[in-house]
Amino acid sequence: MTKGKKFLAYAFLTVVSVISVFPLYWMMVAATNKSVDVSRGTLIFGTALFDNVKKLFASQNVATALGNSFKYSIIMTFISLLVCSIAGYGFEVFHDKAKDRVMSVILLAMMVPFAATMIPLYRMFSSARLLNSTLGFILPTISTPFLIMMFRQSARSFPSDIMEAARLDGLSEFQIFYRMFLPTMRSTYAAAMTITFMSAWNSYLWPKVIMSDANSITMPMLVANLTEGYVTDYGILMLAVLVCTIPTVIVFFLLQRSFAEGITGAVK
Amino acid sequence: MKRRIASILLAGAMVASLTACGNSGGAGQNAGDGAKANELTVWCWDPAFNIYAMEEAAKVYQKDHPDFKLNVVETPWADVQTKLTTAATSKNLDTLPDILLMQDNAFQKNVISYPDAFKDLTGSGVDFSKFPKAKTAYSVVEGKNYGVPFDNGAAIAAYRTDVLKEAGFTDADFTDITWSKYQAMGKEILAKTGKPLLSCTAGESDLIMIMLQSAGGSLFDKDGNPSMVGNDKLKKVIETYVSLVKSGVLVEVNDWDQYVGTMTNSTVAGTINGCWIMASIQTAEDQSGNWAITNIPKLEGVGDATNYSNNGGSSWAVTAGSKNPELAADFLSKTFAGSVPFYETILPKSGALATYLPAADSKVYGEPQEFFGGKPVYAQITEFASKVPSNNTGVYYYEARDAVATAITHVVSGADIDSEIKTAEDTVKFAMGK
Amino acid sequence: MGNSKKKLSLGQKQSLAGWIFLTPAVILIAIMSFLPMIQALFLSFQTGIGAAMKWTGGTNYVRMFKDPVFVQALKNNFIYLIIQVPIMLISALVLASLLNNKDLRFKGLFRTAIFLPCATSLVSYAVIFRSLFAVDGLVNIVLIKLGILSTGYNFLGHPNSARIVIILALIWRWTGYNMVFYLSGLQNIEYSVYEAAKIDGASPFQSFFRITIPLLKPTILLTAIMSTNGTLQLFDESVNLTNGGPANATITMSHYIYNVSFKYVPNFGYAASMSYLILILVAVLAFIQLKVGDKRD
Repeated sequence: MTKGKKFLAYAFLTVVSVISVFPLYWMMVAATNKSVDVSRGTLIFGTALFDNVKKLFASQNVATALGNSFKYSIIMTFISLLVCSIAGYGFEVFHDKAKDRVMSVILLAMMVPFAATMIPLYRMFSSARLLNSTLGFILPTISTPFLIMMFRQSARSFPSDIMEAARLDGLSEFQIFYRMFLPTMRSTYAAAMTITFMSAWNSYLWPKVIMSDANSITMPMLVANLTEGYVTDYGILMLAVLVCTIPTVIVFFLLQRSFAEGITGAVK
Repeated sequence: MKRRIASILLAGAMVASLTACGNSGGAGQNAGDGAKANELTVWCWDPAFNIYAMEEAAKVYQKDHPDFKLNVVETPWADVQTKLTTAATSKNLDTLPDILLMQDNAFQKNVISYPDAFKDLTGSGVDFSKFPKAKTAYSVVEGKNYGVPFDNGAAIAAYRTDVLKEAGFTDADFTDITWSKYQAMGKEILAKTGKPLLSCTAGESDLIMIMLQSAGGSLFDKDGNPSMVGNDKLKKVIETYVSLVKSGVLVEVNDWDQYVGTMTNSTVAGTINGCWIMASIQTAEDQSGNWAITNIPKLEGVGDATNYSNNGGSSWAVTAGSKNPELAADFLSKTFAGSVPFYETILPKSGALATYLPAADSKVYGEPQEFFGGKPVYAQITEFASKVPSNNTGVYYYEARDAVATAITHVVSGADIDSEIKTAEDTVKFAMGK
Repeated sequence: MGNSKKKLSLGQKQSLAGWIFLTPAVILIAIMSFLPMIQALFLSFQTGIGAAMKWTGGTNYVRMFKDPVFVQALKNNFIYLIIQVPIMLISALVLASLLNNKDLRFKGLFRTAIFLPCATSLVSYAVIFRSLFAVDGLVNIVLIKLGILSTGYNFLGHPNSARIVIILALIWRWTGYNMVFYLSGLQNIEYSVYEAAKIDGASPFQSFFRITIPLLKPTILLTAIMSTNGTLQLFDESVNLTNGGPANATITMSHYIYNVSFKYVPNFGYAASMSYLILILVAVLAFIQLKVGDKRD
């Protein structure tokens, strides 16, 4: 890259980044201000952070919500990645007409708005006595067509000569999956982990419908609690939103190297 | 090395699913489960307001019933509605709490859509005559009482006295007036101070409904059929609204946050809404002493026009799935429908204005409020509430509201009133399957 | 043939392994998605208030095309789909290939910054977008300063500008998300391929179109199907940015389905039939995309 082109790239990326980061900055500013100053549109850090923290912790059970959100999201991410990556691998590596058809049918599962399937699903979970449970929270979204397809598409670049060699070495099909595929596809796993964690962390409608116990509150529910009521305290609300956003950002920041810095070639 | 990664992943998943299973066998699955004879579960949504009131009510009740336990689950109204709909549609009524707080406007819709989901409270010991008729009317279906009234939604007009003074007016000039007088004075204020008198959210019909109810009007007739075409009151309301917007006295903003902003930023000289809006007004502490409250303007040239109306408010409903319906009714009748001292406790701390008539005579309600120019605003509002004409919300209230909002948007940008009202009525009829 | 019963051939063994691999996921989807979907399908042929439903055949499906709000919502969804998805996916591709450059520094920070929008809570981003595009908001102030406008324009108060705001918001929110898939897909392309192309005198543009896009094809297909699905089921922006307004000009199908189920007098039969229309639309589009893009060479 020439110097001029590099400068252009930096300038472009900086502009895009600033536009992307602005709301986070605004959230931080708002979290340090009194509600009335937030609604007056201030863009300067204020002095009410300590006050807001005190009020937020006094009115909401932040520790429980954070704990629950972490618990649900981590469990969901692990199980979901495991189930979907095996399936995606199976669909691609052993593909034939029948499996391709099954894949197309499975895709249909994500095409109906959730509002339509929520009531039947609720009826099912209620008779299975899964309301107010972790299992009830995660079960409907462990296996998603999206993740399966993501692993299927990336398995397409998994070199078949590696597999042939492994088979000659006497490895079983499952051994090939977890000894060869899993480490090779680290970038896909890292990306899938980020996305799954984020969607589990932010999920709202279904958890809200099946969880009616004050002890099973999650961060998005806590934020929703703060927006209801006759008066919204924007300072406290934005503080809660900030607390709710940061974990996903940290997860992304920690994982982004793994899916973007080409650590392929881990296979001998 | 590679094997280790895989086994960690697997072990993680195993542990996770074990924990998951462990949990599901644990605490009660349904809101009503594990409920003992002396325990009630309640869903409501505002810690500073109705949750606080509920907890105080529990304290009052505990004096005579020391074993009584109350479990409040903070649930935003939108979620109360979603969960109620989901549970009632799938006929799992036992997943609902014993008591839930319901928006008055949604009461008819929910009771008629799910007649089996609520307990009829008529003759349960609650004395409904202690509430204004206009308030209980929201929760009466086919002559049966399904709700114990709670907070007050009486409409108020609030004005910035400092801005009025700048233009040579006082709040007394705005008491017992008509909309055309309001608009005339508003124009003068706009010219002298640059501030509109009023703001509201575009695409919401709160102000429209306030105006309509002030003349005893409704979007439905007694049989629940839409009555918009040929409804003189509705037409007058729309004309008044559009004229206010065109004159610049009423400014439309796009959402609730901006609406609150127009008051806290002092970009408007007043507002008209349910009395609960006072809580938002009071967040601007630096405006203390500069606000006054009076009644709302009335429509001209239509029968039954008054200076009083209502917007919002809510009532407590007892669910049919409750394991302790008698306890729930007794609890409500001894607190929200029976204790003046209870209302005296909650008012100063939360500003929770009640609709319980005996409470209105209490001294606490007559206390001067510094923020509102040292006037006894709570007594004022309680008096307004007693004069509000009844409103027939109808089952298809939200459909009609949205249809009218659409009509208003079109009329403001130049469409013909009559044909827009016709379209609105058709939309509602379509929703009703007619 | 008799032999194969005793001992499976290599191909059969592998095919069986494949089925075992995908069984857990498929069973879960069958129970958690298809079972409720079948119930919803039955529901879509019934009409009624609340829990009292009656069979009415296909009336719901006829009804939706006579429903002006639903027809408007359908149009809106397609406007969003046609304009937003291509712009978003191309921007995501460009950003991903830019950030895959080995010579650039601070890539981690740039990547995180650009990913941030989709992690940002809906609550705060809706507040910000609405205030940015308010009559006295930042966008108007800038446009007035530049002399493009003379007075503030109510972007969210006019149908077309409100739709543009929704499209901008969608692009802002989801470009970084799609970038993640492209970045991860790009790791499977050997960097030496680019270096070889450079030595052969290919410009960055040429390598983008001749190397990046063809090799990312499986990932592009994935994101295209996902975005089509996401846009036709769009809900958050319609509810939180414009509340469907002005006068239903920006409402989406999912928003309307939600209203029919939970805001209005609940009519789950009608809601289910509208949901099935979305299914059909997405399925047809996804089928076309799969036909065009899912070829194994």
